[in-house]
Amino acid sequence: MQTLLNINNLCKTYRRSNGIFSSTLQYAYRDVNFSLDKGKTVSIIGESGSGKSTLVQTIAGLRTQSSGDIYLQGQSLRNISVQDRCKSIRMLFHAPSESLNPKATIGRILTAPLKLNSNMTAIQQQQQIKNTLSLVGLLPDYLSFYPNMLSSVQQHQVALARAMILDPDIIIADEILAGLDISLRFKLINLLLKIQEQKGVSFIVVAHNMSLVRHISDHIIVMNDGEIVENDITENVYNSPKSSKTKHLLQSHKPDYRK
Amino acid sequence: MLINNEFNEEKIQSPQQYIWSIFKSKNIAVVSMWAVVALILIAIFCQYIMPYPPALQHPDMLLLPPYWVDGSNPAHLLGTDDLGRDTFSRLLKGIQLTLTGALLITVAISLLGLIIGSTAALLKGVKASIVHHLLDALLTIPTLLTALILIVLFGMSFENSLLAVSLSLLPQFIRGIYNCIETELNKQYVVALRLDGSTNLRLLRYGILPNIIEPIVTLLNRIFTMAVLEITTLGFLGFGANLEEIELGALIAKNLDLIYISPYLVLFPGLAIFMIIIIFNIFAEGIRHAVIEGED
Repeated sequence: MQTLLNINNLCKTYRRSNGIFSSTLQYAYRDVNFSLDKGKTVSIIGESGSGKSTLVQTIAGLRTQSSGDIYLQGQSLRNISVQDRCKSIRMLFHAPSESLNPKATIGRILTAPLKLNSNMTAIQQQQQIKNTLSLVGLLPDYLSFYPNMLSSVQQHQVALARAMILDPDIIIADEILAGLDISLRFKLINLLLKIQEQKGVSFIVVAHNMSLVRHISDHIIVMNDGEIVENDITENVYNSPKSSKTKHLLQSHKPDYRK
Repeated sequence: MLINNEFNEEKIQSPQQYIWSIFKSKNIAVVSMWAVVALILIAIFCQYIMPYPPALQHPDMLLLPPYWVDGSNPAHLLGTDDLGRDTFSRLLKGIQLTLTGALLITVAISLLGLIIGSTAALLKGVKASIVHHLLDALLTIPTLLTALILIVLFGMSFENSLLAVSLSLLPQFIRGIYNCIETELNKQYVVALRLDGSTNLRLLRYGILPNIIEPIVTLLNRIFTMAVLEITTLGFLGFGANLEEIELGALIAKNLDLIYISPYLVLFPGLAIFMIIIIFNIFAEGIRHAVIEGED
């Protein structure tokens, strides 16, 4: 079976000037290799500044890599049109209150990707929006609401609906759990798992908290200073961490409720 | 169901409706809005309101004071000047010329500035940095000086003074718009719209413009105020309107010799300039506060 997403020697460098004439090359991340199968979840974990956000932004298409390639179902992303890329890879931002346009209704927010990337008629669009809303557990009444009228978890649901509306293959979740309290985190995680079960999408989850991620991910990638220090099946990472960084992360993220 | 018929009167307001409802609740803002409407109506229907043609001379009634001072004639509400021309009519005519000039400048600048500023902000690379640094250089020259230089180049007339003032005020508006859009482009909802595959135009229309109303109002208000001041200054210095055209600044300059005999001739145009500026400022401030309150 062909892997859905394959990342090959991906590097991102940027110049940092120190002084007037000299500048050094800095790595945001380098030599990143991993692959993702359909319906699986991979979690990327690391401290702030370890390059994980930049990495997923590159996969989503917000930034460009310096070298290396991303293959989507065997095709290099360089050869795929922006529309196809939009249709198969969607991104969730960490704060939906900032990623939803405050001056647009939920309806308009959800229609925009359909209008721009599909050839659906208005009726099909409406149907698709309704289906997606029920998938994330919102009533169609919310379509005429503005984002600031919703609670933070409802905003997350809307953001998820926007990501799901084009039936993508991969959803990238960039620290979406950071702003929520424990119970809402579980609600959102259960929603993600339900959607994965129904639609068979793959997730790339970026997170700080290792114990929450254990529950949802099949694969875990630990990053440190732009390099992958550990890339293994979840249980292997938790039971026998190989690198000291992973051990450190595991220790520092003992959740409060287990003490 | 979330929206049931029992609470049907509580409709979901669009941001514009919400801002309008906040604006309506502010008394001063509403009064200033009607004052703005009145000023614009005066400018439009000036011909019909004026009691006399502004150039008509009444040789038997020279230098009359306004009606509340002894020795006045009720036929001339605000008195007459040294040639017996009706001050009230001339004042209305002056308001018409100055106000329409300033409004025209504001509209022209806002359209042109929006187009140039947003293309500069949405473009990347060399083109953007050319606009950026050129504007920086232009901004160091005081606007009035630019206007004076331009009017010397164009030749003196009222139309040319409008052109000169608008060209001198354009850089700062473009710069303001550029900065607004630049900060807006880094917001996450704009990034998210980009990921939806939006074109730049759609990004501007739905993502950026609705969210920068407040800075635009402030900018436009500043442009309008400076336009009024510069038109009147150019008129006062004699670079703008010629003798036949009555403009508030020129009106002050012409009557300056008579200030000890009849101070009203200078006082009224000055008051008119002051009132125009303050009314429009209060109006813009009202809109701005309504927009800010509407955002949270």
